[in-house]
Amino acid sequence: MVKLAAKCILAGDPAVGKTALAQIFRSDGAHFQKNYTLTTGVDLVVKTVPVSDTGDSVELFIFDSAGKELFSEILDKLWESPNVLCLVYDVTNEQSFTNCSKWLEKARSQIPGTSLPGVLVGNKADLASRRAVDSAQARAWALGQGLECFETSVKEMENYEAPFHCLAKQFHHLYREKVEVFQALL
Amino acid sequence: MRKIDLCLSSEGTEVILATSSDEKHPPENIIDGNPETFWTTTGMFPQEFIICFHKHVRIERLVIQSYFVRTLRIEKSTSKEPIDFEPWIERDLVHTEGQLQNEEIMTRDGHATYLRFIIISAFDHFASVHSVSAEGLAVSNLS
Repeated sequence: MVKLAAKCILAGDPAVGKTALAQIFRSDGAHFQKNYTLTTGVDLVVKTVPVSDTGDSVELFIFDSAGKELFSEILDKLWESPNVLCLVYDVTNEQSFTNCSKWLEKARSQIPGTSLPGVLVGNKADLASRRAVDSAQARAWALGQGLECFETSVKEMENYEAPFHCLAKQFHHLYREKVEVFQALL
Repeated sequence: MRKIDLCLSSEGTEVILATSSDEKHPPENIIDGNPETFWTTTGMFPQEFIICFHKHVRIERLVIQSYFVRTLRIEKSTSKEPIDFEPWIERDLVHTEGQLQNEEIMTRDGHATYLRFIIISAFDHFASVHSVSAEGLAVSNLS
C-alpha cells in the first residue's frame, strides 16, 4: 500500500469555475459558492483520493491560483514543480476554451522534458442554451494534447469528482512506471 | 582501527525517518547493502531520510547510488538525539539516463552520529535511492 502526494495546478481563465470546482470537491458537494469572488494569490485544497482497484491513494494538493495571472511571474513561483494539471474552461465561453492551449503551454513549461498528466474540464454544462463550445470539438483537442476530457456542472453537482479521480489514477500509473524504471536499472 | 562501511543495517545502522514510504520499497533498502533494492519518493519535493549510526563515527568517503535526484543536501549531527543538524554537503547531481547515479564524495570533518539526506529537487516526479555507503571508522559508543 502506498500513499502518493501530487501537486495539482488548477488552470484556466477567470470566472470559469476553478475555485467553485475545487471547493465543491473539498466539501464533497456540500458547498456551492453562489457569489463570485475573484481569487487573488492562491488557495490550497488538500484531499486524499483512493485509486480504484488498488489499496493505494493519492493525496492531491490542489493549487487554485488566480485566473488573471497568465503572464505574471507570481504564477511561475506558485506553479513550480507541478505533478498534475486540471485545466478548466467554461462551455458557454469560447474564448476560455481557446485560451486553454496557452494555459497548457504555460503549465508544461514548468517541467520541460517531463510529462505532465492532465485533464480538460468543461464546466457550466448545465447552461445548455448558452453553450458555445461543442463537446466533440473539446474532446478532439484534448485527445490531441494527451488530456482526458470531462464536462461538469459544479452548480448542479454533476461529475465534479471524476476529473480528480482521473488525475489520481494517471499519477498512480506514472508512479508504477517509474518504479519499473528503477527496478530495471540493475 | 579498520575502515568499514558504516551505513549497513548489519552493522547496527538504522533509517529512523523517511518522508515517503511505499511498503514495497521501504527506506531500509537504502542500507541493506544491496543496490538492487531501493527506496522511492512518493511525490512532491523536498523529501528526506535520517540515518542513525547508534555510535560516534568518522566518515571519510560517502557513495550515494540513486536515480533522478537533482539537488541533494546532507546534514549531520553529533548529538545523542537526532537534533542540532548542521549543514555539511550540498551537491547538484547529473542525470544519467538508464544508469544509476553514483555520487562519490570525499568528506571533511566527518564526525557524526546521524546523517540527514534531503532531496531538494529531482529530474522527474519521483526519485529513488538505492544505497548509501559511508566508509570510515567507528570512534566510540554513545553514552
